[in-house]
Amino acid sequence: MQTQTERTEAPNFNRAKILIVDDDPELRMALKLRLRANHYETVSASDGYSAIALALKERPNLIILDLGLPAGNGFTVLKRLQESDALSHIPVIVLTARDPQANELRSLDSGATAFFQKPADNNELLQVIRASLRSASAWGTTLPS
Amino acid sequence: MSDSPTEVLLIEDNPGDADLVRLRLTESKKQVDVRCVNRLSDGLAHIESKPPAIVLLDLNLPDSHGTETFRKVLDKAPHLPVVILSGQDDEALAMKAIHQGVQDYLVKGDMTSRNLERSMRYAVERQALLRSLEISRKQQIEFKNQFLSHVSHELRTPLTCIHQYASLLFDGISGPITPEQRDHLQIILKSVNQLHAMIRDLLEATRAESGKLRIEPRCLALVELVGQAIAMIRPVALEKRVRVELETQDHLPLIYADPDRVLEVLINLLDNAVKFTPAEGSITVKLSTQETDSEFAYISVSDTGRGISPEALPLIFERLYQDPDSIDGNRSGLGLGLFIAKELVNLHGGRIWVASQAGEGTTFTFNLPIYSLAKLLQPVIVYQERLRDAIVLVRVDLKPLATPVRGNWKEVCRECLDLLRRCVYVDKDLVLPPLATNGPEDTFYVVASTDMERVKIMITRILEQIGALTHLKAVGTVRASARPVASLDAGQKLTLDRQIEQVARSVTEMVVADLSSMSSFNQKENNANADAN
Repeated sequence: MQTQTERTEAPNFNRAKILIVDDDPELRMALKLRLRANHYETVSASDGYSAIALALKERPNLIILDLGLPAGNGFTVLKRLQESDALSHIPVIVLTARDPQANELRSLDSGATAFFQKPADNNELLQVIRASLRSASAWGTTLPS
Repeated sequence: MSDSPTEVLLIEDNPGDADLVRLRLTESKKQVDVRCVNRLSDGLAHIESKPPAIVLLDLNLPDSHGTETFRKVLDKAPHLPVVILSGQDDEALAMKAIHQGVQDYLVKGDMTSRNLERSMRYAVERQALLRSLEISRKQQIEFKNQFLSHVSHELRTPLTCIHQYASLLFDGISGPITPEQRDHLQIILKSVNQLHAMIRDLLEATRAESGKLRIEPRCLALVELVGQAIAMIRPVALEKRVRVELETQDHLPLIYADPDRVLEVLINLLDNAVKFTPAEGSITVKLSTQETDSEFAYISVSDTGRGISPEALPLIFERLYQDPDSIDGNRSGLGLGLFIAKELVNLHGGRIWVASQAGEGTTFTFNLPIYSLAKLLQPVIVYQERLRDAIVLVRVDLKPLATPVRGNWKEVCRECLDLLRRCVYVDKDLVLPPLATNGPEDTFYVVASTDMERVKIMITRILEQIGALTHLKAVGTVRASARPVASLDAGQKLTLDRQIEQVARSVTEMVVADLSSMSSFNQKENNANADAN
């Protein structure tokens, strides 16, 4: 982070809006508290259908997505996000209790940026959120939207 | 047996005996459809094309004799009931056949239509029973494994909740806490981690049992990996005042293994060693090769603990085994660690064993295959037991777009190489490790099994993405030059292993020749040639 533009960009990552999608209300709350403590803005959804609706309305900078969800599981959400011109650029981090051996590659191939199995290490998760936000903004300048 | 005719395959070369069997079969009231062949090879072909309900088998045929005859039939059709017919009254051979899975044995001279029919009927019923037992045993294992896998998944959700809220408290996000509260939360978090490790072990063991453990081997420097493992375990050892030392021979060859899995094995062994070594004791990790064995590198972990009793030694790699004398009050885990370690080492083609003297300490030793280019190339260039048609070698040059480059260029190249390695398909392309120690760090080689244009496009794309990901505008240009690996003489009828070795040799030669032709590299040419193998 040496140039002037990058320095002014940096704080933006911390004001980024993150959509949390998880059907467990307590886990949603824990994640929200953790992200807010790190100065992110959060919105949350508890099922696949409202995840897409909220993503369209709120236009988050990043999505944290559980796989086992009512009303459209995580893979359906990933597919819908990929199909939408307005949403396909948003980085998605999958955070699930499911087995990585069966789900990690499938998630990444379906458009996820990263895969974490619960319980995930908070520091690692925060680092990947930061890196994903940064590369998303880098893509944003180089790719036609 | 049902009312439709029973299909009987009679493998018998003596026409008189064959007629006798036919006669006995028609005398019995059952509807039978007999097909008779006089050579074993014809019988096996018939079993393959149209499996009969039962096989009646003479052991001495023009193309096979004695035990060999029924072994071949059982190999071909393990689930088919087989009754042996023989002229000689040989009880020993009969019992041997029964032990190996033949259903019954009849002496031709004593054969009546009644006992032939009875023998066949029982053979078919017994075989059906055995088959259903085997199926239900498999189903039970599968059910147990699915159950365990489901349970460990369900346990994760509440565990995640405990972990999240305890760490919110611990990190002070939920408000200020006292030092004592902090200590208590630390204990909660440590226990959560232990529970998490146990759930992971449970899943791993379940996978090992159903043959679903996977490894992704690559070319590795063992010393670095062991150093990493020791660094991870040292804090725990120091706390117990146990020294950890590394002894390694000079010029240890590279190995071909999955780094994460080997680390898992090492951590497991080191963890155990720390657990069973008293204060002021020491743990020594030794790395070596043996003159008599050019295939494997050996890793041993020795401790000065109290050793393992001779009775426990043979059980130690068993699932769920736990040392009954484990008295130090530590939670000992599930007793799956060494079982998983053994499975992982075996998956690499290596072995693990233990030697111990009560009171004098324990040494665990395992071996891992030494790296060769042929081993590394195999998954990429072989498909369905054959060499793939198109094998290409691509040279990738990293060139900085903007100068000056941010940070250390060497470091940047290493990062890109690492990212590139993770982006290629495991079974379709492969970033080669450096084949010459003095090669330039911004040039590397990829072997792929596709056509040249596609692989160039793919690598260009990956590098563009890496540039964006690392915020490195430096990785802008790729000068990928691809060449097919010299097609090998198919007429030579080499074994697959020899063909793979040939490809490996061609790849090495091409890389070495390419490196020597690069002008900046000319001075180092001699070194490169010397190190090429």
